[in-house]
Amino acid sequence: MRMFRMGKQALRAMIENKTRSFLMMLGVVIGVATLTMIASSVLGARAEVMGKVEKFGLDQIMIMAGAGRKPGVPQPIPTTLRVEDAQAMMSEIINVKDVSPQINRRDFLVKSGNKSSYAIIAAANPNWESVWNTSPESGRFISSEDTAKFARVAVIGKTIQTDLFEDEDPVGKQILLGNNPFEVIGVLEPRGTAVSGVDMDSRVVIPLSTGQKRVFNQDYLFMIKVALHDASNMSQTVEDIRALLRERHNLQKGVEDDFTLVTPTQVMNIASKLSTTFSLFLLLVSAISLIVGAIVIANIMFIAVNERKPEIGIRRAVGARKNDILAQFLMEAVSIALAGGILGIIIGLAGLKILSGFMKLPNAIMWQPIAVALVSALIVGLLAGIQPARKAAHLNPIDALK
Amino acid sequence: MIEVKNLSKVFRKESIEVQVLQDVSLSVQKGEFIAIMAPSGMGKSTLLNILGCLDKPSSGEYILDGVPVQDMDDDELSRIRNEKIGFVFQSFHLLPRMTAWENVILPLIYGDSDGDLKDRAVKVLTSVGLADRMDHLPRELSGGQQQRVAIARSLINNPRIILADEPTGNLDSASGQEIMKIFRELHSSGTTLVIVTHDMDVARQTDRIVEMKDGRISNDRPTRSPVEAAI
Repeated sequence: MRMFRMGKQALRAMIENKTRSFLMMLGVVIGVATLTMIASSVLGARAEVMGKVEKFGLDQIMIMAGAGRKPGVPQPIPTTLRVEDAQAMMSEIINVKDVSPQINRRDFLVKSGNKSSYAIIAAANPNWESVWNTSPESGRFISSEDTAKFARVAVIGKTIQTDLFEDEDPVGKQILLGNNPFEVIGVLEPRGTAVSGVDMDSRVVIPLSTGQKRVFNQDYLFMIKVALHDASNMSQTVEDIRALLRERHNLQKGVEDDFTLVTPTQVMNIASKLSTTFSLFLLLVSAISLIVGAIVIANIMFIAVNERKPEIGIRRAVGARKNDILAQFLMEAVSIALAGGILGIIIGLAGLKILSGFMKLPNAIMWQPIAVALVSALIVGLLAGIQPARKAAHLNPIDALK
Repeated sequence: MIEVKNLSKVFRKESIEVQVLQDVSLSVQKGEFIAIMAPSGMGKSTLLNILGCLDKPSSGEYILDGVPVQDMDDDELSRIRNEKIGFVFQSFHLLPRMTAWENVILPLIYGDSDGDLKDRAVKVLTSVGLADRMDHLPRELSGGQQQRVAIARSLINNPRIILADEPTGNLDSASGQEIMKIFRELHSSGTTLVIVTHDMDVARQTDRIVEMKDGRISNDRPTRSPVEAAI
């Protein structure tokens, strides 16, 4: 009850001095606003990456032909990765549930009539659908019959559909992959952008056999995607696959791998590295603003204590203990910092909304950045208030009343 | 009510010692109305501060309401001030941004009281004739009215004793008389009052005048002779 009454008095003091209170808040407002924006965008980006990685599959491994490859970065490919490697993994490593051997080619010209687009061609087997967890939303997927017959059939992504056919139903229509005519048999459900920035809806899937024989004229693979039974056994399985492939590729000890294993963890790391430097810089900005905010509050509180000596004297005369005065000034500093924090959160979220118009930022309001911002404001208030409050509490009431 | 024995107060400023109070003994009975008179700087404010538990004596004993207070710590003294003492100051000392009734309940904020504080403020403000000035800020009130708000504040906790430091010093004589009238009414309803003043017209209206000089009590006498009082 007593604390509640005193809290009310602290709030009054803040409201009575609107201009001063606002100036005191300014540093905290700026600090918290930037903090909110950074934390929200970092967390949002992380959530987005996590979402994508989950779509990629937390229980999946990619084996890319060639050493030191990163997803999405083009490089000359060695000819060592083969369909037989995929079959061997399937039969020799227990944790491997399924394998999708693929030839991929980016920026491949696709035409229909006078319209054209650039696609990522994936020549794959029918199990591509389950391994990539991507099904056709209309039409059908490649069948084993298609594979056996080297059929010129293609399942196309949303982007390709829009580019070539707009609103028309493409199923049954012809498209040209390079100079090869293909029949569209299905349209893939939308998958959005991958962690690497690749538009997953610009994919065109054709039978692996057709790709090898009719389009790329190569028998080696670009990559193998592996689905696992047990994701918790990921690192052991990665080692098993590496050992198997090294043996099959006759790599001597000390020779570099001629393939690259990509796990979901690696994908996450690549994505989060991008934003780290930028957010560290902004974090520094907000930390400095908060420190400046604390110094400003502390200084103005010191001035206020001097100006309000008579008030302190009166309160002491009517029975306020030292701790009551301490609590009052501390609560004033904290409520100013918290008010600044709330204002900062509002401005930060508004800023986020405006910025998301210019760059890709998450839109959802998350509670963690808000909690972090409020706690920082609280700490700023306490740190800034404690010394002035102590000074106020230890004033001699007789001197204060003079 | 108040029992002061051999009270001394020494102020040290750098190496200079100033003996402000020397061997002051004073006893004030319950319901008494006394004036402490002294020229400025002769220790009367210091004595009042000690009586009001705002300051501690350098030596001597002070028993307030049967309780020795000279050795109490700061928190205990604060509680005594809150519960047993009402202060009235020369320059009113109201909080400028608070309304009359909010000023009046200030002591209650630091006490254990519950319930509707405003109700209590209304009662006390009515008793000092300010029922219609409840929501005014101090600057909207005359000096006399401000001092009445201050008196209401000093009364809100039903203190054992009211200590007033030159309560009419900043007022014109008419307002001063109003304040003295309120004090006399309080006195007749049994409140113990100690006024510090150098104004003989004020002192004359009390029961007893204690004169101080150079930190000592130089004279302690009833205002009127028993014969006068009888008339």
